[in-house]
Amino acid sequence: MEQASAQVDLDEIVVKYRPVVSFKVKKSLGVQTPDWEDVVNEIITQVIEKVTKGEFRGESSIGTYIYTITSRRIVDHIRQKTKVLRGIPEPKPLPDPCESAESRERARVLAEAIQQLKPKFKEVLNLYFYQELSRDEVAERLGISPRRVSERINYAQKLLRKMIKP
Amino acid sequence: MKKCQYTDMIDDYLLNKLEGASKEQFEEHYFNCSSCFQTMEERDALVSTIRARGAWIFKKEPAAGRRDWVPAWKRALASFTPRQWATVGLAAAVVLFAVFGILPRFQGQTPQFVLSDNEIVRGESLTLISPVIDVGSVPGYFEWRQLGEDVEYKIFVYNSSLLWTEATRDTRIAVPDNVKQQMVAGQKYSWQVKAFSPKGTLIAVSSRVQFQVSQGK
Repeated sequence: MEQASAQVDLDEIVVKYRPVVSFKVKKSLGVQTPDWEDVVNEIITQVIEKVTKGEFRGESSIGTYIYTITSRRIVDHIRQKTKVLRGIPEPKPLPDPCESAESRERARVLAEAIQQLKPKFKEVLNLYFYQELSRDEVAERLGISPRRVSERINYAQKLLRKMIKP
Repeated sequence: MKKCQYTDMIDDYLLNKLEGASKEQFEEHYFNCSSCFQTMEERDALVSTIRARGAWIFKKEPAAGRRDWVPAWKRALASFTPRQWATVGLAAAVVLFAVFGILPRFQGQTPQFVLSDNEIVRGESLTLISPVIDVGSVPGYFEWRQLGEDVEYKIFVYNSSLLWTEATRDTRIAVPDNVKQQMVAGQKYSWQVKAFSPKGTLIAVSSRVQFQVSQGK
């Protein structure tokens, strides 16, 4: 058991898995939830504690182990909030002004890049991501195959990556 | 590099189209697959931006719709290069030159008209004088009013069919004996005269007058 925990690099947990845990938490709780970062911190701390105590036995991958802890913590958080905050208005989100400004700028650059795409790429992004039509519906609307829809989206992504590359 | 089998699930996950076991399976996967997570982060930025700013990003889409209202020829003209415009101008000049410069030269002669046997020159009239009513005996002459100088007349005498025809430049013509012998009392006959110009053009046709040779005389 001690051997299994020793094989896990704690720094890796923080560096590699913090973004993954953050993504999952934000996706589950909503990015507007004010305390999503607290939840992430709690999860990371809990993982480090468990690994340090040797509770991670290596029966699964560390990724799966962290995913399990993350999922449980999110469920607990939702239950707790539902119980405590029932009837109490949700506080307004207080986003980090620096991060908000930075993400706004990134979004602006990306939006301008999307605007510069050829119409056939913009059209497919519009129908699939903005109007949220299914892949088959987009294919039917544009008169192309569903596979072609995916290819266009991926190629648009590739073009955008080049366009916004610093 | 082999594509991860979960890559195709990224869009569905971000668009909340994955549920239950599939969703959990994918989430567990991206906790273990840094490649998929990286791809998903990038795609999430795209999806989030489009969702948040789609109205602004795609605001020019209606403009593309309006473009459809512009007639196709206007769009075609708008896309002409200077060379194409020069070609169009040259072609127009050639057409104008052909219409106003060359074609009028082939229109020097006035049209020729030839009248058929049943056509006459409007305004001319040919009046028959005798016989125009029933007669007591077989007529010896047929007479009509003169129409002009150098006019040739052609007389037609009918019973049930054409009995006799003859041409003359006079305004009266004697009936030949063989014709007289064919004309019998009590029978109805009709006659008509056509006038021709010296060039042979029909210029007038008389009305067709009917007469009867009385019996017992």
